[in-house]
Amino acid sequence: MTAEAAALNGEIRQLLAEITGDQAPLRAPPDTPLLRDGLGLDSLGGTMLLTEIKRRYGVDVADEDLNLDSLASIGALAAYVSARTGAVGRPR
Amino acid sequence: MIKCVVWDLDNTLLDGVYLESAERPPAVNAALVTVLRDLAGRGILHAIASRNPPDAGQYAERATDHAFAAIQCGWGSKPTAIEAIAAELGMTAHELAFVDDDALERAEVSFRLPQVLVLAPQDFPAAADWPQFSPPAVTDEARRRGELYLQRRSRQEEARAHGGSRDDFLRFCHTTVTIAAAVTEDLPRLHELSVRTHQFNSTGKAVGEAQFASLLGSAEHRVATVRLADRFGDDGLVGACVIAVGARRWQVSLLMMSCRALGRGVIDALLAWICRAASDAGAAEVAVTCMLSPRNVPLRIALAGAGFRADETALAEGPRRTASYRRALGDVLPAVPDWVTVPG
Repeated sequence: MTAEAAALNGEIRQLLAEITGDQAPLRAPPDTPLLRDGLGLDSLGGTMLLTEIKRRYGVDVADEDLNLDSLASIGALAAYVSARTGAVGRPR
Repeated sequence: MIKCVVWDLDNTLLDGVYLESAERPPAVNAALVTVLRDLAGRGILHAIASRNPPDAGQYAERATDHAFAAIQCGWGSKPTAIEAIAAELGMTAHELAFVDDDALERAEVSFRLPQVLVLAPQDFPAAADWPQFSPPAVTDEARRRGELYLQRRSRQEEARAHGGSRDDFLRFCHTTVTIAAAVTEDLPRLHELSVRTHQFNSTGKAVGEAQFASLLGSAEHRVATVRLADRFGDDGLVGACVIAVGARRWQVSLLMMSCRALGRGVIDALLAWICRAASDAGAAEVAVTCMLSPRNVPLRIALAGAGFRADETALAEGPRRTASYRRALGDVLPAVPDWVTVPG
């Protein structure tokens, strides 16, 4: 993981902690699901998350990811945003 | 359609500056309060965004004799206060109007939140006659809307104090969700929901009472209503769905829920019941036709959470992009929580 991707990963975990009001996202394994039984994010929390990601990184997950596969896990979301912001060296 | 008016206090809702006369705070602007009451009667909410200490909000509630749905008093910017109000009420910016006497504040809100309808106090009484402030259907549920949002304020304050999981909190609130077959008396509210719901609406189209009535009489369709209550209050009819019942597939042609039920387990309960009922009837699949709009992201998150997958190949391009979200019923079905009552 590049330094940028690691920083992004940390930021997303921090954001999830703020939305869920719980410290668990800071140390949960990367494959922890965001919805339901994972971090327990509901549609309200999910919408707040996607709104904030769009505001911070300019990535409109809801528009681009029809199935919201990027919400499958903490790692999937970090990788999705990372790939679209060029944090891993790929063009947007 | 405007769902909430956000008011500035100093020299807007109040005839003066609160902190300049803390001993005897300024009186309210009677003309604006008359309009405020008229709009409240149409089911439109009111909120306060003011650069003042919190007691200014309490004073305004007493002086206007109106309980506001959300109050943001502090020293931050007006756009930030408006965003916080939108988040608290589960609304989007284009459902809000903002009234402020200060041209600079109005300009900042217009610049940062272009979807908000921004008005000067002197323009507001005339603007209240615009179609944006005239919901086509006003039901009892709509008239009680202000009261319902107050209950929401108490609920959120308790939720912050409670901690624990969401399910624990819903139980703690004595949440009850009742799913039932729609009846004729539900028609006005069904129509109203189809007009007013956006974040949880699969089609984004208004449906007339006559259309719902014909669906009630159709043997191939089921129209189900969802009611919600807890110890803070009774929200009444907050959601509904229309299902074309086939032998192999249940096709959900409309799914809608009021945003005041957001975060209270209602949409998950409804999706779980649809899957269970379809499976019990011998169907192999449930499909939800869903418009793809930035406004109904909450609904799409709920669908993803309930195991529905969109068929990208069937994506209809055009002015209204839609996708079919499907879920096979062979595997484990979603659980219906014990506080949900389903049709027998």
